[in-house]
Amino acid sequence: MQFVIFFFFAAVAVIFALMVVLHRNPVVGALSLVASFFALAVMYVLLDAPFLAALQVIVYAGAIMVLFLFVIMLLNLQHQREERTRPVQQVLGWITSAAFGIGLVYYLIKYAVYRTVPQGIFQSDARTIGVRLFEAYVFPFEMVSILLLAAIVGALLLSGRAARA
Amino acid sequence: MIPTNWFLILSAVLFAIGVCGVLTRKNGITIFMSIELMVNAVNLTFLAYARQFHQLHGLIFVFFVMAIAAAEAAVGLAIFISLFHHRETIDVDEANLMHW
Repeated sequence: MQFVIFFFFAAVAVIFALMVVLHRNPVVGALSLVASFFALAVMYVLLDAPFLAALQVIVYAGAIMVLFLFVIMLLNLQHQREERTRPVQQVLGWITSAAFGIGLVYYLIKYAVYRTVPQGIFQSDARTIGVRLFEAYVFPFEMVSILLLAAIVGALLLSGRAARA
Repeated sequence: MIPTNWFLILSAVLFAIGVCGVLTRKNGITIFMSIELMVNAVNLTFLAYARQFHQLHGLIFVFFVMAIAAAEAAVGLAIFISLFHHRETIDVDEANLMHW
């Protein structure tokens, strides 16, 4: 049963990821990316990380992708025809990324072999993560909060000045 | 239990798709979405290894990556809005002021 779920959602993730890259309309791309993120959330559940699956749905599929969609709609980009890149660039891009992907998969199959499946229960609920976060990772946590504040100020400054000009 | 390798291979495939998007597209927002796709592929790798070795560090790293991706999305999209107001397009080839 787990294997069926894995293959189904792996296929969903890959197909919608390809839609992001191949579709010319950015709105369709953004919605495909949401679908892909949902499939990845299922992967997180299969990896015994339900808390991060919830975060994936709320933060990625919820907040970040809504921001993307909002900007696409705001700038009215869905009607703008995207010019194609030069054929040389297309061919080189496809060849490079395909070679990169095939090489990565090849070396993963060859070297990163885990024949033993981990035993026991992997404790990764919100409580365990929270305790670890506020004990060993307090400093990075505070740094991230400052970073987010800086990002808010930066985003306001950048888009606000553009609106005035 | 699903072997860790399969998750790693899925994440490698998603990463390669993201690389392809960055290399072959011109629309700035699509390139940005491809970058988000690559970030997510890396997150999947972190979680796969976290389960393989029963380490919480991987999960906490994913948590931080998500926070930083949110910050990155906010600033990046603000830059694209600014670019659109100046150039009326988000074609990345048009943003060539710092081009060599």
